[in-house]
Amino acid sequence: MKLRLTICTFIFSFLILGILSSSSQLMAQEILKEIRISDSKGDWGYPNPYRHYPRGPGYIRMSWVFDTLIWKDQKGYLPALASSWKYRPETLSFVFRLRNDIKWHDGTPFSADDVVFTVKYFKKHPYNWVPMEQVKGAEQVGPNEVAITLHKPYAPFIAYIGGTMPIIPKHIWENVDEPRKFNEPAAFIGSGPFKFIDFDKTKGTYLYEANRQYYMGRPLTDRLIYIKAGNPIMTLLTGNADMANIKPDMAKPLLEKGMTIIENARGWNKKLMINHKKAPLDDKCFRRALAYAIDRQEIIEKAHRGFGSPASFGLLSPDHEFYNPDTPQYNHDTSRARRVLEALGYKEGSDGFYERDGKPLKVGLLSSNITVAGESVADRDGEVIRKQLEEAGIKVELANMEQATTDARVKKWQFDLAISGHGGLLGDARILNRMINPNITGSVNSARFGANKELLDLLRSQITEMDIEKRKALVYKIQEIYADELPAISLYYPASMAAYNPESGIKWFYTKGGISLGIPIAQNKLSLIRK
Amino acid sequence: MKTKAGSDKLKRRAGIIVTFCVTALLMIYLSYKIPSLLPGDFITAMYGSSNVTLTAQQETELKAYYNEDRGFLSYLIRILSLDWGYSYAFLTPVAPLFFSALLWTILLMGSAHIISTLVGFIGGVEAVWRQNSRFEKLMVGGMTLLEGIPEICSGVILLVIFALHLQWFPASGAETAYAQNAFFERILDLGHHLVLPLLTLVLAYVPGNFLLTRNSMIMVIKAQFIITAKAKGIPPLKIRYKHAARNALLPVVTRFGLRFAFMITGALVVERINSYPGLGTLLFNAIQARDLPVIQAVVLASSVMVLAVILGMEHTYRMIDPRIGNAR
Repeated sequence: MKLRLTICTFIFSFLILGILSSSSQLMAQEILKEIRISDSKGDWGYPNPYRHYPRGPGYIRMSWVFDTLIWKDQKGYLPALASSWKYRPETLSFVFRLRNDIKWHDGTPFSADDVVFTVKYFKKHPYNWVPMEQVKGAEQVGPNEVAITLHKPYAPFIAYIGGTMPIIPKHIWENVDEPRKFNEPAAFIGSGPFKFIDFDKTKGTYLYEANRQYYMGRPLTDRLIYIKAGNPIMTLLTGNADMANIKPDMAKPLLEKGMTIIENARGWNKKLMINHKKAPLDDKCFRRALAYAIDRQEIIEKAHRGFGSPASFGLLSPDHEFYNPDTPQYNHDTSRARRVLEALGYKEGSDGFYERDGKPLKVGLLSSNITVAGESVADRDGEVIRKQLEEAGIKVELANMEQATTDARVKKWQFDLAISGHGGLLGDARILNRMINPNITGSVNSARFGANKELLDLLRSQITEMDIEKRKALVYKIQEIYADELPAISLYYPASMAAYNPESGIKWFYTKGGISLGIPIAQNKLSLIRK
Repeated sequence: MKTKAGSDKLKRRAGIIVTFCVTALLMIYLSYKIPSLLPGDFITAMYGSSNVTLTAQQETELKAYYNEDRGFLSYLIRILSLDWGYSYAFLTPVAPLFFSALLWTILLMGSAHIISTLVGFIGGVEAVWRQNSRFEKLMVGGMTLLEGIPEICSGVILLVIFALHLQWFPASGAETAYAQNAFFERILDLGHHLVLPLLTLVLAYVPGNFLLTRNSMIMVIKAQFIITAKAKGIPPLKIRYKHAARNALLPVVTRFGLRFAFMITGALVVERINSYPGLGTLLFNAIQARDLPVIQAVVLASSVMVLAVILGMEHTYRMIDPRIGNAR
């Protein structure tokens, strides 16, 4: 008996010791100032270009460590590693003048060589956030000047490359042939305001420490910590976190507790994907009938307690500088939807639903729980849309499946209608190409619509148009045609909010057009730099 | 005679071992095959709704990079040589990932099982000993009520009361992440974080153990040998636990073993509510991300654990009730 007790005690002690040694533990002599951000998912991959998850929160975790040539704040672009930049149309190149007072986290000076190397490295080992197919190459053109040359004019360059491409240190990566498998501490040496210390995959927590020599100034906190919490709001209320994304209906109680609430512009939309390759959904008149049948305000009221606003049918957000106010509208009108269907030859059957050639009009609808900032939330969008379509005489079979299963079906065109969503609607207008172009196969949010040649030509042209006004005109036209064709229907913009504790001394903000490609998350690194 | 009995015993043992080996092989195959039957793949799950829109070429390249499937034989060789592969999502070996989650699962689920078995067992024995008393009625009523409350409900209630309103315990996590604590402060912090998820599980498991013990004991307590023991003047505590309870132990041990076998996924609800790390969450996230090597490892480990527990229970039964050893 004694022996068993000893064995049990030994096992338990071993377990506790195992846990204690399983994660890195800082035994600090001084108490360091720290900021804690709460997140419901926790795990977003390791924070370097090749290992973070390809969603906004993954990029943001990397952005603390790796800086880009230029960056954004509430007002727009501003210098980062590059102090100035200009476009030289005669050479099809963007020239960046670099700062000369920057050091990598390991103390090695940052130089133009690193920028040239990064471009070459990303061309050889693609980092999918940065489209390098338009980039011909990069070269040093002065002591602190680098020119990135293009094959042809590329209007989204600043957003997609200058403001998104993390610069990696040449002295570390030049000998790395398999970047995805490079997991040494050196893989996280950057030039950003924070040094990466730990990512606990089991707990979903991250630890960063301030880069006190940061060229834009010493960060306002010594440590930055991400914690995982099923209910981030509870961690705010109990003082365990300083900042979190919140559900809009929690704004009031949090405000009463002294939290500061910030709200983002309309940059993320819930969208109805349509299988436009399949009858009757291949007919744009039928798709218009769907648009008339759906009451978007009702979805917002019933499924989101009124927190949201109806989306533009032209995809770009009304808060975008290229938004076309004359984009066609389809105000909710069930009788008009019915008239359109009747004009298409449908007749009302005895059960109240339409039928044609003896076949009932029936569509499948895949529901989804996806929402802003990589979070998921159970909503009733599917049920409300089913009710609305059935009121218009369209029988709906609603299926709520696990997200990856839904995604797989949408990707293989094994669906009729599917509810999905994506952001980027405030970022560069290249989002239109990504969300419409038929050669996009890897996205479940892209309409992948190639039936309108004029639309495809316009999409191609807007990418190469470097004159802002001319590009704006092209983007206006794209929105008109898109809203006319309706290859997918943008439904609404859910209200997107974050809350933070003002006593922490940090003022968080939403970035103009979203961070990088348009990430609608209020965790801009400049919040932790500027007072 | 002795030699014949010995050879019979050996044959029986060999038979059991062969059966377990065949079952283990079958489980390895199922752990290989079943996860790959999930609709969707890692690239769709990871990139489908991401900020990156892939062209056909990019997608093909990524799929080729992440496809580790070289057939069952290769998988079998890999597993037998203790190579668990690489996680697609983390791009790190699966084994350390699995074992770091396992430690938390053992701490939470192990403690919950041991505490709930002990409390349920002692409660059941004491209730039967005080049959028809107020104590018994209260216990049976209370436990039946508790049995009807699912973990998801009790977990949230405990969280709202003790974490949100009273703020006695933390709302999430297994410890204060990267706390600047000394060694003993950290131990206290671990215990502090463990209370709510542990209590939720104990509340969920105790009623079953209590009711099972009570039902087994109720028959035993009326047996002749107990009346004889009482007549002999043996102390009541000894009668209850040495004479009566031992005979009621078998179903409780079975329940303990089976519950232990499902330890890996058993805590998923509590892990999610309290954001407590563990194998349940690891498996859940891996399924969401279609991280096949991780799913395969967790599925295989949990099936092996079921096998090991069943083997262990065979042995325990013989210890508790020697009659089983002679049964054919």
